[in-house]
Parts: sequence; C-alpha cells; structure tokens
Amino acid sequence: MELLDRYLQAVKKYLPLARQEDIIAELRANMEAQLEDKEAELGRPLLQGETEDWLRKMGSPMVVAARYQPQRYLIGPTLFPVYWWVLRMAMAWAAIAFVVAAGIVVPLVQHEKLSLLGTLLQIPWVLFMTAAWVTAVFVALELIAARYPEKLPPLAGRAGGWNPGALPPVERRTADGHKPRSYAQAVAEIVFGFLVVGWLLLVPQNPYLLLGPAEAVLQQMPYRLAGVWMVAYWWVIWLNVFQLGWKSVDFWRGAWQEPARAQHLLFKAFGLVPLVVMLQVRDQLYVTLKNPAEQFAQYGQTLATINNSVHLGLMVVTAIATIQLVWDAGQWAYAAYAQRAV
Amino acid sequence: MTVAENLFENLKLELRRGCLTLAALVALRSEHYGYTLRKDLAERGLEIEESTLYPLLRRLETQGLLVSEWREEEKRNKRFYRLSPDGEQTLAQLLAEWQRINASINGILGDGILDRSERE
Repeated sequence: MELLDRYLQAVKKYLPLARQEDIIAELRANMEAQLEDKEAELGRPLLQGETEDWLRKMGSPMVVAARYQPQRYLIGPTLFPVYWWVLRMAMAWAAIAFVVAAGIVVPLVQHEKLSLLGTLLQIPWVLFMTAAWVTAVFVALELIAARYPEKLPPLAGRAGGWNPGALPPVERRTADGHKPRSYAQAVAEIVFGFLVVGWLLLVPQNPYLLLGPAEAVLQQMPYRLAGVWMVAYWWVIWLNVFQLGWKSVDFWRGAWQEPARAQHLLFKAFGLVPLVVMLQVRDQLYVTLKNPAEQFAQYGQTLATINNSVHLGLMVVTAIATIQLVWDAGQWAYAAYAQRAV
Repeated sequence: MTVAENLFENLKLELRRGCLTLAALVALRSEHYGYTLRKDLAERGLEIEESTLYPLLRRLETQGLLVSEWREEEKRNKRFYRLSPDGEQTLAQLLAEWQRINASINGILGDGILDRSERE
C-alpha cells in the first residue's frame, strides 16, 4: 500500500531518532490490521479516495508524531508565575534605570546627535530587549529543570516553601472609595517622576523648557531673578529626588498599592521648605535689576511692586499649603483615633 | 463552531482525558495490541482516535503502568500491552477514586433533582 508507506515515512521524519523504528513498526502493524478489517468489511481493496479519507482522519503526520513526544513548553506552569513576576519587575526597573541614565548622561554629554527626546524614544526597544533576555533565561531554566530537576531545588521549593504569614494585607479601598494604586500606576509615577527631575535639571541651562516663547521677551526686560530662586530650585530638586527614592523603595518592597498616610504628610511638610526659604529672603528681594546703577531710577518703583506682589503671593501659597497640611494631619489623627476605638 | 460549542468541546476533552486513561488501563487487564484495544473500547461505546490511543499506550508504558512485548500474530509482528503489577495497584486506586467521584456526582445530581421538584 504505497499511500500508507508514504504516510508512515512522513510521520517517521517528525519522530525522535532513537524511537523512530519502534514507533513506526507498531503504527504500521495497527494501521495494517485496521486496513484489513476495512477491506474485509467492504469485500474489496480501498479506493484511492477512501484511503486518503482514512489517513486524513488519522491526522497529519506532524500532529501524529507530536503526540508521541512528551508535552513541551518554552516555560512550563511551574516556572511561569516566577517568570511573569521577574519579567514585570525587570521591565519596570529597566525603564526606570534607562530614564535615570538618560536624565543624567544626556545633559552632561553635550553631543549634537544626543537629544533627551531621541534617547527616551529608545525606551520601547530597551523594554523589548529586556523581555527577550528574561524570556531567554527562563527558557534555559526550563530546559535545565526538565533534564536535571535536582539542579533547581530553590525554584522548585519556591512553590512549596511560601509563608502564609508573609502575604500582603487585604487590599482596602481608600477612604474616598477609590481602588488602591495599580502596578502600572506605580510604575508610571516613578518613570514620570524621573522625567520631571530630568526636565527640572535641564531648566537652568534651557529656560525655554519652562518659559517657552516668553523667554525671549524676558531677555529684553531689565529684570532678573535673585539668587534665592536657585536655592529654592535645589530644594525642589532634592525633594523630588527624595520622593522618588522613597517611592522606588516602596515599589521594590512591593508596598506600592497604597502609600502610607504618614509618607504623604511628610512629603507635604517637606514641600513647605522651599516656600519658607523664599519667605525668609532679605528685603523681600526676589527680582533684581540687571544693571541697578543705571536702571534703578527708571524701574525701581516697578521692581518694589513686583517684589511685594511675589512676597504676598508666596505668603498666600504658604498659608494654603500649611492649612492643607494641618487639615490632612487632623484627618489622619482622627482616623487613627477612630480605628483604635474600634 | 460557535463559542458555546467550542467551550463544550474543550470541556468534553478535559473530561474525557482522564477517563480514557482509566478505560485503557481497565481494558488492559487482558492483553491487547493497539488496534484491538481501540476496537474493544469502541464496541463498549468509548471511541478513541488512533492518534490519541497509540501514544497514550507508549506513555503509560514509560510510566511503568503497562508492559509490552512484540509477538507474531496472524503472520504479523504486533506489540501487545498488558497491565504491569504497578499498573494493577494504581488502577485499583484510580477505580476507587472514580467510584467516589461518581457517587458524589450522583449524590449532587440527586440533590439537584430534589431541589427542583421541591420548587415545583
């Protein structure tokens, strides 16, 4: 039966070399017995079309051969949860590390072909490469685990040796009924936090990033900002870095779902520092003249008005921020008291 | 195939997978080669595709539940399978589990029928 021989030959090509002959011999014996039964039933040999239908029902050679192979995975169900966790962490940290590196390196290296935007546009490629490497490592681990299961006891033990006491607390909705922060939200906050710091660091050398087209107008004006703004600026930078560091640590510890209220209050309290620094400035001098000796007579009155307005504005902002802080602290204390009473 | 039909086919496949192994083990308390085993099961109402049954026999043999030998029958060499001593032990455990599940399902079905008749 030529068609059966061709079929078995095709199946054989997909079988593992060591078991080919044995499997094909058995398959041939079974199929020939079946064929004999069919022919005895019909009282004649099968026609070409009937044989084709029979073989088609049996399945394509590749599918039939595959069923003789052990079940295979690139990453099996035992390793997959670990893989998925590592992939998410690796991608999040790769994005963070890349944004930080870009924020530091690009402003330092003044190269005409190296722009911050161009560098940040490479993030998808960085994420893709990270995912590819993590996947490749886990595929290798899966292969090793399949062939030498005794070599990977820590991974095998990870599933069985977990501690129920170390489980995170039940997710609570926030006081206003909202869901706690999602993983994507936490990652986005950190990534954008680094972008903001990078952007802030670029502002002194590139004021147009903050002022836009108004920068050209300001260049023509007789006024300039006093040195206190730089002091406040560095306070803002350090506060942002501090917040980012804290959020990153929380993220690393897996405590990103709902930031602690104390942390929120602390950030708000630190946020008052640059305002207080500004309010302490001597003679309320926030704006000065580029050339005081020549320009004071003409612009001195306007300058005093500007400085008074800025000082008043800063006082209002500080007052609002302080009230907010006190209000939040009061709410926190009341909630803590109510919880203790329960 | 509709989504519901596809879902049914997948669930049926999952349900049958374990049952087919059990049926093959039960049938192999007496010796068979692949084709006669398939015929035997089909005659008893359990149709199995060749491409499913023959690899299953190999797998059960690798797991030590079956033993096999090549022997000539009707002028043709065939591989005959039967239950191994380990297979007999495992089969007894599996049958006990099968009876337990069967009794539970019947019990649940009985409760369901009672609930419905009570409602009516």
